[in-house]
Amino acid sequence: MNDQTNVKLRLSNSELWGGVIGLALGGFVIWSGLKLKLGTINDPGSGYVLFYTGILMCVFAGSIIVSAITEGGPTLASRWENVRWSKPLLLIACLVAFSVALEPLGFLLSSIPLMLLLLRLIDPVRWTLAIPVAVLVPMGMWWVLKRLLLIQLPSGLFGIG
Amino acid sequence: MDTLVNVAHGFGVALLPINLLYCFIGVFIGTLVGVLPGIGPISAMSLLLPVTLSGTPESGIIMMAGIYYGSMYGGSTTSILVNIPGEAASVVTCIDGHQMAKQGRAGPALGISAFGSFIAGTFALIALMLVAPKLASVAIAFGPAEYFSLMVLGLVVLTFLTQGSMPKALLMACIGVVLGLIGLDSITAQPRLTFGRMELIDGIGLVPVVMGLFGVAEVLLNTEQAIKRDIINTKITHLLPSKEDLKASAGPVGRGTILGFFLGILPGGGAVVASFASYALEKRLSKTPERFGHGAIEGVAGPESANNAAAGGAFIPLMTLGIPPNVVMALLLGAFVIHGLQPGPLLITQNPGLFWGIVASMYIGNVMLLVLNLPMIGMWVQLLKLPYNILFPLIILFTILGVYCSSNNVFDVYVMIAFGIIGYFMRKLGYEPAPLVLAFVLGPMMENNLRKSLILSQGDLWTFVQRPISAVCLAFAMVLLIAPLLPALRKKRELVALDEGA
Repeated sequence: MNDQTNVKLRLSNSELWGGVIGLALGGFVIWSGLKLKLGTINDPGSGYVLFYTGILMCVFAGSIIVSAITEGGPTLASRWENVRWSKPLLLIACLVAFSVALEPLGFLLSSIPLMLLLLRLIDPVRWTLAIPVAVLVPMGMWWVLKRLLLIQLPSGLFGIG
Repeated sequence: MDTLVNVAHGFGVALLPINLLYCFIGVFIGTLVGVLPGIGPISAMSLLLPVTLSGTPESGIIMMAGIYYGSMYGGSTTSILVNIPGEAASVVTCIDGHQMAKQGRAGPALGISAFGSFIAGTFALIALMLVAPKLASVAIAFGPAEYFSLMVLGLVVLTFLTQGSMPKALLMACIGVVLGLIGLDSITAQPRLTFGRMELIDGIGLVPVVMGLFGVAEVLLNTEQAIKRDIINTKITHLLPSKEDLKASAGPVGRGTILGFFLGILPGGGAVVASFASYALEKRLSKTPERFGHGAIEGVAGPESANNAAAGGAFIPLMTLGIPPNVVMALLLGAFVIHGLQPGPLLITQNPGLFWGIVASMYIGNVMLLVLNLPMIGMWVQLLKLPYNILFPLIILFTILGVYCSSNNVFDVYVMIAFGIIGYFMRKLGYEPAPLVLAFVLGPMMENNLRKSLILSQGDLWTFVQRPISAVCLAFAMVLLIAPLLPALRKKRELVALDEGA
């Protein structure tokens, strides 16, 4: 690792960020455990295991932070070096858009555009193949699930699907 | 004699036409997901978990088991022909298997991998038949303290064997426990970490978590780089290994089988650990270790036998103790629970048809796999040519449908997408999801057993040390936790640390 990709006490140290997030989560779990009541050792309450798990989380996160500071760690940018970082980002955007559209539009009207976007945006498939796959696969799945297996799929505001 | 009667009863169940059909579907899908890179047995099993609802418990579990050991067979095909492991347990097969294929010996590599797998699978089943009932009778005496300590050991072993730093793996396990505790407290019925959402009262489902962390996250990672496949285009001939090949492979198959079986039983172990351990053992025992990495048939025969034997061995802790030793078995536990069954010491006596039926079906499945893998190799090779840019949208659609169908709830689709995104960033930052998932399943059981043992012992923590089995498990766990602090042991851990994610 060169100097630019292995940093110690810098905000770009990815190991440091991982530890800080773990520490914050651990703190939240401890607080939740306390709120739920610990009970006694004879009769542990609902928050007992959460509280002690939270403490363990803080210990492990603390150890990650210490090793990030003493030994250093790769920068956030280096984790995405030499990869097509925009592709997973696009895929995440498509999935988020799909999850927003699923209930109002229904399964068919949301999954056909999702398939078309995935087929064309990431590693583009030619239109003559992308369109039939994007239309026929969701429709085929919809038919099998709804007609054969009688599984109710979301039909949305328009009642399609 | 009793065992023979039980085996006959098991074959009676397994040979029912419907169970044969489910067994065939299971091993076929298993081979398919083993062959296709980017979708592993974990994703396939969680995708098909809802399908098990439609049949009897026997049929559903026979199919799920078929997917698991079927993927072990199929995974070797991609490793040998494309140099891309179809699933994690076949990573090591790439090393010598693909080299053999490059030298025009793809046939013997595929052949020995199938025969080794068959022999190991058969041995594991016979051992399962003999060991499981005996262990189950001992396990009846287990109390909550023993169960708690065993689960702690299982989690620690898995974190020890997970790639990357141990604190990261332990942090993941803790997060898994916390996620598993979301929902109503089983003792006080108090809602925990539900944030006022009705959907979380019953907790987060296993299927969306697994599909997100393994299915969606894997696709996100794969889209980062264009997957190039170096498929061997020559015609595959001589699937039956020669006399020399058989002679060279006999030892590795035998050793891999025994090693794999015992590593499969260990909590936290499994097929991946077994295949790596077998490769290391064969290389160490070989008189010509320099051939390893350049097409040594022993490097294919040993690991392929070991991963199949481990797949069989892993059923023992699940069936006899009710404790899943790895993520795949955790999913199988999910299938049992869906049908209102609790695997454990009483399963074999209370449900002999189910236990022996599953065992017998695994034998039938192994025979089916031999037929599926050798004569139909051409079909699997054709399938490897399906481009990933068409395959991944299909995987995404199937995961969405699989999650939705498991609960008929759109909320679970949101959970899966969220865990997919979290899983992607976790993997990018070097956090493996396997400890999280196993802890997610074991968390509620661990909490229950911990609280029960504290109530029973009136708060005496010595109860965990005074009981011998519990004490031994905790002592082992302690040794493994301390081990990475010692430089010599840390190096050893790095050698065996594995990526269980695929």
